[in-house]
Formats: sequence, C-alpha cells, structure tokens
Amino acid sequence: MRNSLPALRAEHGFTQAQLADALNVSRQTVNAIETGRYDPSLPLAFTIAKVFNKQIEEIFSPEA
Amino acid sequence: MIPTSAAPVKTAGRQYLVEFSIALGLLVLAVLARPWLLDNTGNETPAVLIKLMPAVPVWLMFWAVWRHYRRIDEFEQLKLLKTIAVAFGVGSCLVVTYSFLEDAGLPPLAITWAWPTLAACWGLTAAIMRIADK
Repeated sequence: MRNSLPALRAEHGFTQAQLADALNVSRQTVNAIETGRYDPSLPLAFTIAKVFNKQIEEIFSPEA
Repeated sequence: MIPTSAAPVKTAGRQYLVEFSIALGLLVLAVLARPWLLDNTGNETPAVLIKLMPAVPVWLMFWAVWRHYRRIDEFEQLKLLKTIAVAFGVGSCLVVTYSFLEDAGLPPLAITWAWPTLAACWGLTAAIMRIADK
C-alpha cells in the first residue's frame, strides 16, 4: 500500500512527533507508515484521514 | 495546529519500566529473603508458602508486560508479539536441543533455568530486531 502521508504532513507543517501525538501512536509508528514498512489498521487509517480532513482513499492507495 | 489528544502511548515505555523494575526488585528481595525466612519462621508458616514467595513477583512481571502490551499502539504491539514469538521458538529449540545433549552425557539442568533462558532469548531477539528495524 502506498500513502501520501509525508507530503500531507509537510503540507500541514507537522513533525512526525506532532502527528504521532494526534494519532496517539509512537513516532516510530508514524515513520514506519510513511516509509511503507507498516500498513495501518482500518481504524488507524480512519483516524489519519480525520486528522487531515480527507477520505482514506485520498491518502492510501494500492501498490501499483 | 493538530489537536493533541491524551496520549498514553507516549508514557507507556516509562510506565512499563517502573512497573517491571518494581516487580524485578520484589523478585530479588523475595529470593534473598527466602533462606532467612525458612530458617527463622516457626511452624506456623508452611515452608511451601515461603518457597513459593518468589513466584508472586514473577507473575507481577508478566502482568507488567501485559499492561505494557495494552498501552502501546498497534505497530508496537505487532513488534512485541513478533519478538515474543521468535524468542519462544528459539527458546523451545534450545531446551529440546539441550535435552538431547543430556542424553549424550551433559549434566541435567533444573527447570528453574527455563525462565531465564526464555528471558535471555527474548532480550536477544528484541535487540536483533531493533537493529534490523533501523
């Protein structure tokens, strides 16, 4: 699964630590999602989408 | 600005360290106090209860790990479970391997070695996985 989390985070001016706080996860988890080492669960993906006020499919897409 | 939620995940590591350290401290205390208690208590306390005393903090250690598991986020949970699974596999293989070595003449080991063996496997696995993760 690919995601546009790094671009979205940069667009909003958030650090990984700030985003981690908002999602109630560790900074390592945010890093793992951004680098594609971990695909978040559906509830976490929904929370990410809510933080950026977007739909899940606008952030996550299947691997090409 | 991102709305900051109450984040127990942030403090999970510190809470785990405190809880686990207390349980470990109690274990050391119980192991050290056991011989003295066995020598100095009368018949009113059954010896089996005194001998079992160190088992209580061992269960507390397990409880601390469980509480930590419940506090961390899903990715950290996955990593923790992977580490425990690998450590259990390696530890089990070590135990079986040594049982065959006992047949070959090596001295038999007490079952008390099982727990430190698994703990060592867990620590080693966690260290290797942390390095691999970087």
